[in-house]
Amino acid sequence: VTRIRPFVLTSGRVSAEGPYIGLETQVTAHGEGVPTLAPEMAAIVSLCAVPTSVAEISAKLRLHYGVARILVSDLHVAGHLDVYSRDVTTPPDPDLILRVIRGLRDIT
Amino acid sequence: VDFVTSPDNTPATPPPTLPPLPVKIIIAGGFGVGKTTTVAAISDIAPLTTEAEMTSESVGIDDAGPRPAKTTTTVAMDFGCVTIDASLKLYLFGTPGQSRFGFMWDDLTRGALGAVVVVDSNRLDDCHPAVDYFERTGLPFVVAVNTFDGRLSHTIDDVRWALAVSEDVPVLAFDARVRRDVRDTLLAVLDRALDRAVHDSAAAH
Repeated sequence: VTRIRPFVLTSGRVSAEGPYIGLETQVTAHGEGVPTLAPEMAAIVSLCAVPTSVAEISAKLRLHYGVARILVSDLHVAGHLDVYSRDVTTPPDPDLILRVIRGLRDIT
Repeated sequence: VDFVTSPDNTPATPPPTLPPLPVKIIIAGGFGVGKTTTVAAISDIAPLTTEAEMTSESVGIDDAGPRPAKTTTTVAMDFGCVTIDASLKLYLFGTPGQSRFGFMWDDLTRGALGAVVVVDSNRLDDCHPAVDYFERTGLPFVVAVNTFDGRLSHTIDDVRWALAVSEDVPVLAFDARVRRDVRDTLLAVLDRALDRAVHDSAAAH
């Protein structure tokens, strides 16, 4: 495994612009096929053929989380990825929490 | 506002390419307390590992320098997920919590439903930073004492007293290897989160 200094891939940037991207944020490839991109970028787009969280992108491609989220943001800006950002400024909805509770209760 | 909108005329099952709505619960605690075991016990997938940079201030630790040293550490977070239904997925992030917390923690906990602080009752000091952090930020949390083979070296009351957590914070015993125990611990977190959410939405009207 080649060890690249983590933030070389992001040209030294340590924060992403645009919508909130968290560990759990879901990402999908935008459109068909993998465009011609740097290998790390292309790997992200092909992984996101199915909905994938930023945490999974980071883990499966062995990218630091901070790096993964910046690359995801760049690919989103470039139109290669759809990023499903949630509004994290409002507190969670009681109905949503109840759905999680009911789902967990079914686990034995 | 959630990104999955469901007008009355949409079919119950979304198309497969539409991602689920992700929610998360943080599993915090010191090294070796059973965070990864906790995640693995209930996760649909074998836990994965992501690495993240954390900034910590090393204050008062054999450092005679003129300023408190700010160090960046790479921490490994093990995580897993539980599919609640086709449109809702619960993520569990195991996060080391024995050092001082930097900005990264604010980012990790943003949007979380709540947290579990996993505790080894022989090493209570390891969990103090996590307990302090969640009390300060107001994220709903429970303290879960890992019983390791069914044995508890201190009573729950002793642990509660030693940690000095608020009375409304549940302190419970669980076996991190047992799925039902982990499920019940997560349900305790969600009960707290629900209380908070109901209270907040009542206050907003």
